[in-house]
Amino acid sequence: MSTEQATSTAHTEQHGLSEKGLKAGSVGLIGAVVIGVSCIAPAYTLTAALGPTVSQVGVHLPAIFLVGFIPMLLVAFGYRELNNAMPDAGTSFTWASRAFGPWIGWMGGWGLVAATIIVLSNLAAVAVDFFYLMLAQVFGNPELADLSSNLPLNIATTLVFIALACWVSYRGMETTKTVQYVLVAFQLLVLGWFAVAAFSHVANGTAFDATAIAPDWFNPFAVESFSAFAAGVSLSIFIYWGWDVTLTMNEETKNPEKTPGRAATVTVLVIVVIYMTVALATLAFAGVGTEGLGAGNPENQGSIFAVLAGPVMGPFAILMSLAILSSSAASLQSTFVSPARTLLSMGHYKALPHKFGKISPSYKSPSYATLASAAAAAVFYVVTRTLSENALWDTITALGMMICFYYGITALACVWFFRAQAFSGAHSFFFKFLAPLLGGVILLVMFVKTAYDSMDPAYGSGSSVGGLGLVFILGMGVILLGVVVMLVMAKLRPEFFKGQVLTRGN
Amino acid sequence: MRYVVGYTANARGRDALNLAVSLARGRGAALDLVMAIPDAGVFNAAHAPAAGYDSYLHRQASEWLDEALALVPADVPAKAHIRSGESDAQTLIDACDEFQADMLIIGATSSGLFKRFTVGSVAGALLHAATVPVALAPHGYHRREALTRLSCGLGDRPGAEELLQVAVSMAKHREVPMRVVSLLTLDGGDSEAAADAARDYAAQRVAAALPGDPSGDRAAAQLADKIEVVVAHGGSVEEAVDRLDWEDGEVLLIGSSRLARSSSIFLGSTANRILRALPVPMIVVPSDYEFKQANHSTSNEPSREAQA
Repeated sequence: MSTEQATSTAHTEQHGLSEKGLKAGSVGLIGAVVIGVSCIAPAYTLTAALGPTVSQVGVHLPAIFLVGFIPMLLVAFGYRELNNAMPDAGTSFTWASRAFGPWIGWMGGWGLVAATIIVLSNLAAVAVDFFYLMLAQVFGNPELADLSSNLPLNIATTLVFIALACWVSYRGMETTKTVQYVLVAFQLLVLGWFAVAAFSHVANGTAFDATAIAPDWFNPFAVESFSAFAAGVSLSIFIYWGWDVTLTMNEETKNPEKTPGRAATVTVLVIVVIYMTVALATLAFAGVGTEGLGAGNPENQGSIFAVLAGPVMGPFAILMSLAILSSSAASLQSTFVSPARTLLSMGHYKALPHKFGKISPSYKSPSYATLASAAAAAVFYVVTRTLSENALWDTITALGMMICFYYGITALACVWFFRAQAFSGAHSFFFKFLAPLLGGVILLVMFVKTAYDSMDPAYGSGSSVGGLGLVFILGMGVILLGVVVMLVMAKLRPEFFKGQVLTRGN
Repeated sequence: MRYVVGYTANARGRDALNLAVSLARGRGAALDLVMAIPDAGVFNAAHAPAAGYDSYLHRQASEWLDEALALVPADVPAKAHIRSGESDAQTLIDACDEFQADMLIIGATSSGLFKRFTVGSVAGALLHAATVPVALAPHGYHRREALTRLSCGLGDRPGAEELLQVAVSMAKHREVPMRVVSLLTLDGGDSEAAADAARDYAAQRVAAALPGDPSGDRAAAQLADKIEVVVAHGGSVEEAVDRLDWEDGEVLLIGSSRLARSSSIFLGSTANRILRALPVPMIVVPSDYEFKQANHSTSNEPSREAQA
């Protein structure tokens, strides 16, 4: 492409979206599945989300994990339609702005950025836990694992991890294909090993609290209350988060017609099988009791495998530490790309100060936006860690809420943006209207219900500030902060908010 | 004659651009400014599809290239191109093939924190794989006038004669005086005798590299008078380089090590150390560059850079 061409397109498309980046398709089915699984990072999501979900729904964990996939699937259909019509690094921000105008669009972007920043801080914290656990396993000295609960040391190590990942991302270094294949294969292998080992403990009568698997575990309607159900679903949205990437890979794949759909299907089958196996193995081995190794023990909620891997896998528990450490470190680095690109897009469309739109001349990465994301993740972690008795648990719950918020907005943006085509055929009706509408409504209902319930100071880990649950403070605080920043930006750079930059509709 | 300039929108890119203008002016060459941007790695982005970022990058890159083109003086023809690939070095090598470039010009610094030449990672990679001569602009290079002198670093390795031939014809066509530099690191011993031996050796090589009958070629005859042979001593290569005097408008031509794969550059440890101490640009010529060019051309001229 010559500069002359590029500049002229930039001029003609000032008010719309710029053209798709062209590139030769390079990913086959297996590659796409590997990408999907690595984006989900099952070893990390399970250790982070399994405990908090059990605390909400108890033995109905498998049911909730299955049900949680439905809104994700419905929303992902809408996501794919939007991505095909308007591929843009700003994703939710850009789409919601085009559909609903600047204010809702801005909040959609904020939701995405907040969710990814929360997950960055959680990823770093999980990586740090397993880092010290691994040191303890390597040197045979359990005291080293306890270093992770030393507050100043924990915060310092986490900040170092965040800074390292930020530096790697800033330098534009990428995880290569080979590394990604190895990481994914290793994760699946270790999770499988964990499940087999847990079941054999159950069979040998050496399990902590052998619990017989019952059909009732798979019945989502047996969950005791709607509150627990909503909380469980918003947590299980988190465990599938990243799966939508497979659906939206088009031009990257060798066969854009078929590969993305097949890859998404295979990915979700792999993930569901591994989630079910590990969830059942954990419940069968440890039960949902609140004592000792029980999955309901608040002590174990933040990172279940940190507690269970040792008793279940014996000396091989170090493999679990390695798997989670490597997958969360890789995710930490690759997840930086997401808020950075959205912030870049917001800077570019004048929804944030100009400097967010900067690209590093040397590394061609979103320079300012990457640094800002790292700073935000660091601040978020320090605040949460200081306020919460169990920061990991509370961040994951707040994260589930945030994902429901911005996915809900995105899904409804799809419905509204394509409203003229909604009844123009069966395909359009289902993918552009019905699926995203249902998905969006479900997620926003979950969001509102979880937000309401989390006001209870006993919610989540039971941390509270001023009589309000910490999860509520975190979730709503982040959204309110977004509103404040938005109003400040509307004063400073009014063009975007007058709809002069990103125009509504087609 | 076309030169590819590996351009980045920072000080390093401007160093390269200045050197490119200077080299082009002495030779009437056209410049191809190439900005390398990374392929969006599909194995990398979690929670965000890669589509879309590319277009920001392209737009930004074309803005940067427009600014760069504005910096090129009117008497030097220049075009700008955006190319993407897995690594910046590979992208630039491919661009050299695409434009059939005769030289690749890049900024060598990794950052401004270190003295003069600190080979950046892209430059380092290029020096191991490029198939055309690579010109490295030192940190803060701002000269844009044509060269005033050409130095050629001489070693006793195989390939020295070919390198001298490249240097001689380059100097001839650029109508600049030439200097042959022999770097001696002496740890005691008889320094005078060693220097004399080196000087004799260099003089012999120069005589061998000059056209057989200089009287038939006026430019060559003029050049033959202007070739100076110097021997630089020092406890280390860096010291030897520091002790030489360098003109502002000078460049040093050196050959790549014999470790190089056929027709690609590999910078030996000596050359690497020269690079760190050198205040002027350096052009590194691939080990059998001449040979490859001779096969493509019916003339006896050693390279296209040297051709009229």
